[in-house]
Amino acid sequence: MATAQNPAAPKLRGGVQPLRAGQGMSFVLRRLHSLLGIVPIGAFLLEHLLSNFEALKGPMAYGAQVKFLNSLPLVRVLEWTFIFIPILYHGIYGVYIWLRGRSNVVYYPYAGNWLYVAQRWTGIIAFAYIVQHVLRQRFLGADLPNNPGMAFAKVQHELSNPIMLAVYVIAMIAVCWHFAYGIWLFAAKWGITSGETARKRFGWVCLAFGVVLTVFGLASIWAFVGPQYQNAPENVPISNLMAPSGSSPLYLNSFRQVS
Amino acid sequence: MANKTVAFEIKRQANPDAPAIWERFELEWRPGMNVISSMMEIAANPVTADGRATTPITYDSNCLEEICGSCAMRINGKARMACSSLVDNLEQPIKIEPLSKFPLVRDLSVDRSVLFENLKAVKAWVPVDGTYDLGPGPRVFPQQQEVNYPLSNCISCCCCMEVCPQFNDATGFVGAATIAQVKLFNNHPTGKVFKEERLRALAGDGGVQECGYAQNCVEVCPKGIPLTDAISDVGRDVLIQKAKDFLRN
Repeated sequence: MATAQNPAAPKLRGGVQPLRAGQGMSFVLRRLHSLLGIVPIGAFLLEHLLSNFEALKGPMAYGAQVKFLNSLPLVRVLEWTFIFIPILYHGIYGVYIWLRGRSNVVYYPYAGNWLYVAQRWTGIIAFAYIVQHVLRQRFLGADLPNNPGMAFAKVQHELSNPIMLAVYVIAMIAVCWHFAYGIWLFAAKWGITSGETARKRFGWVCLAFGVVLTVFGLASIWAFVGPQYQNAPENVPISNLMAPSGSSPLYLNSFRQVS
Repeated sequence: MANKTVAFEIKRQANPDAPAIWERFELEWRPGMNVISSMMEIAANPVTADGRATTPITYDSNCLEEICGSCAMRINGKARMACSSLVDNLEQPIKIEPLSKFPLVRDLSVDRSVLFENLKAVKAWVPVDGTYDLGPGPRVFPQQQEVNYPLSNCISCCCCMEVCPQFNDATGFVGAATIAQVKLFNNHPTGKVFKEERLRALAGDGGVQECGYAQNCVEVCPKGIPLTDAISDVGRDVLIQKAKDFLRN
């Protein structure tokens, strides 16, 4: 019987080189990239879009949500370990993956091949958007962690610029697309949907999920640019313990059961 | 029908370093002609459409019935088997080019050794060599046979690798065919003795993780092998193997 030794792959005189059997770290790095896209990045995206939905209830509710998130224990550690570092890794490694692929959708215009290309484009759009979004909304301008009441106005100012509004709408669609198809890819590559029929069915599930997510996201953008909360005050008082007596219905909306 | 002709444009290259040129050939139409029978005719009578004598074209072929995997080439831009490409179904002039991702030998002939090396790297065989009679092999149930038979149809034509956006110099991706063979031999009751080694091999650089799931492989596979199913199954098995190895060490 053959031995368990793996002889080194012989070097071919040109073209694509053979498998480097059992060598290197790329399997772990690639699967980590895949996993991070679902947890924590995808999970955070869901949280973010749900939180954004509070904007539909007005500046008070939105500010209260920002205050709640910033009141989480070890929030600065949480945001670096579960948001910033995973996104940086996923984004940078994703660009590396893209650069090593050779798209041929011109010659083979199949649906899967288009989605392969779309996953790369939506990924780079999302990454570029997220970098500017984190810089401008998290680290520059009004200091929201300490002044959550300024959150609504800060976003509203940003979206009052039609170019930024277009950027946000395009990025929202790209991010939701990337996440929805990313879930499908995750299930396919990790052997969860290993049958053709299962992948087809799950494709519809992911499509529906992506559409719902996009509608959710665009609805919360509407909260900032629609007529309902035009010219929101620069800062609104936030109480997350109880609504002061005699408060307006708007104020009541900001009531959160947060200790 | 007497004067009906078929036009071919063939990409020629005398050697790997020579410049590529296109030559046009015209053949008299015959019923049921396919690309490989046309290549034979052109090689036997190497005269271009404008009446100039040229060198006979070089190409790989053997069985002429889509079972040996030799005659894969790009026909009107798409990788496929020349033997099963009926001329009547193709747009003319029919453009013939060699596969683009393998080192060129001459004209339409390319060196596909990389697949052989990959199959060796994952031990894509059943180890039954011995100096004495090993007796009958274990029984394979019909349900398992149903899964294995399509995988065993692989003809090593390399079409799945040619059309894969991830199969290139940068990734050194192993390609769908080899991954499907890992599934086949891991399913075999005797072949599975190498299961762990095959999975560990496929976790190496250029292994199953490089798949980007563009799914071109299943679209073009002339034998209709469920390659994406195999990639999914083997991807899971490799991951489990890596996790076991990590926890046991």
